[in-house]
Amino acid sequence: MTSAVLSRAEIGPAFIPVDIGHAVYAAVTDPNTAFWALVDKTRIQEELAGGPLLDSYRAKADSFARELHALRFELKPSGVYLNPTERCNLDCTYCYLPGEQRSNGSHMPPEMLTASLGKLRDYFRSVMPEGRKPRAIFHGAEPLMNKGAVCSAIDAFSADFVFGLQTNGTLLDDAALEFLTSRNVSIGLSLDGPFAGITDATRKTWGGKSVHDKVLASMEKLKGYGSWSVITTCTTENLPYLTQMVELFHASEVPTCMLNTVRCTLPGARGVKPADGDMAKAFFAAMDRTHELYRETGRKLIVANFANILIGILAPTARRLMCDISPCGGGRAFFALAADGGLYPCSEFIGLSSFNGGNLLAEGGVEAALTSAAFQTVTTRDVDTFSPCGDCAIRHFCGSPCPAEAYEMNGGMEKTGAFCEFYKEQVNYALRLIADGKANDYLWDGWDEDTETVFDLAM
Amino acid sequence: MTQTVQTIQTNQSTAAANVQTAAPTIAIRKSCNPDGIGLSHYVLMDKKAAK
Repeated sequence: MTSAVLSRAEIGPAFIPVDIGHAVYAAVTDPNTAFWALVDKTRIQEELAGGPLLDSYRAKADSFARELHALRFELKPSGVYLNPTERCNLDCTYCYLPGEQRSNGSHMPPEMLTASLGKLRDYFRSVMPEGRKPRAIFHGAEPLMNKGAVCSAIDAFSADFVFGLQTNGTLLDDAALEFLTSRNVSIGLSLDGPFAGITDATRKTWGGKSVHDKVLASMEKLKGYGSWSVITTCTTENLPYLTQMVELFHASEVPTCMLNTVRCTLPGARGVKPADGDMAKAFFAAMDRTHELYRETGRKLIVANFANILIGILAPTARRLMCDISPCGGGRAFFALAADGGLYPCSEFIGLSSFNGGNLLAEGGVEAALTSAAFQTVTTRDVDTFSPCGDCAIRHFCGSPCPAEAYEMNGGMEKTGAFCEFYKEQVNYALRLIADGKANDYLWDGWDEDTETVFDLAM
Repeated sequence: MTQTVQTIQTNQSTAAANVQTAAPTIAIRKSCNPDGIGLSHYVLMDKKAAK
């Protein structure tokens, strides 16, 4: 534990009150430990002054601080995002990869992908517990543009990695689907609209052709498969249709989706960035609709990016997504391999050459990248240390994503990302669901099977 | 959008009047070994492999 954490513990915990917009409850948090409680909003002053809640929390505050510190600063990488090609057959408005790479870039040669996975396997074996496999996710650009190399690599390293694939879904022919599903590869697709006119506004081929129907066809074929999801990137173009989007996903038996705020790393994305208030209104309407659909049918459509916020509140260490913690997971829980062998903290940085931490196949490999100045610029971005996050009551439920857009859009790592106000409202929405006893309706069944309850106060 | 992280001023006499009907405090925390590696561009959905 650092001296900073110790000094906070010596001072003793203090609560910050948060108006969550609930009729009965307000929240109190100690952001230093990501602790929260929901209290009668008419009794805030009494709770802040002391009593059973504060006493119970004080007894646990040190262990919570240690847990949060370990999550934030002591993880070893256990996953890699592999970019087997620079090319993509689509030209999406908001892509974080430069257009020149996507249109005229290179594939990673099959033998280079094999050598890379071998080196990555050896690295992960050196840092991960025996018996636990690292995750390797083929990512884009569009990984199926280099389908042969990807499939060969999955077969060659099936004993060494848990594989995933994020694809735009347009190249998933029957043979590719059979190959991937028979090997239990987790598949992620992307779709931005409930009908072609909306999807086409942001996702289309270089020639301007629609891909909406192709993605729908892939979704139809994946029905019943246990390991797939669909990402919708929320922009000004599709925001009025988010509720229809979740209705489409639910009707298509999509088990999990993400309704992501557009990442504003490159200028093209900023042109379709919705205002925070508009984003919140549309997002919560869509979340409300998923709950109605669950109540009507008994079947959940999990919105993973929101579920992750809920989980981060209920069980900080059980997060699956590592964008909502600070420092983020880039360069410490995972890293990205570009098609030229370059190592980056996260795929989001691949278009930014100053974040190249070296080449995987060069001397030093992963270890050298992790300690490089390029990686440390990201891994030392700490919400405790800059304004306005440093004083924010919910900073460790949000994490102030994303460092790439903070750096590129707002001018530095010590800036917020693109959707600060939306993230605050999202945490409030999550806390209201907890207050109303509805949180589990928005989470995977069994999400907490491997967790231990370390604090449970209802008084 | 309303600023949501703020100090709430509570009227002490109102609070006292509501003591008998105060809502229960809710505070839950669970813990496990962390192994999340997902990011906003991808979420691992293999039910056996995922936590």
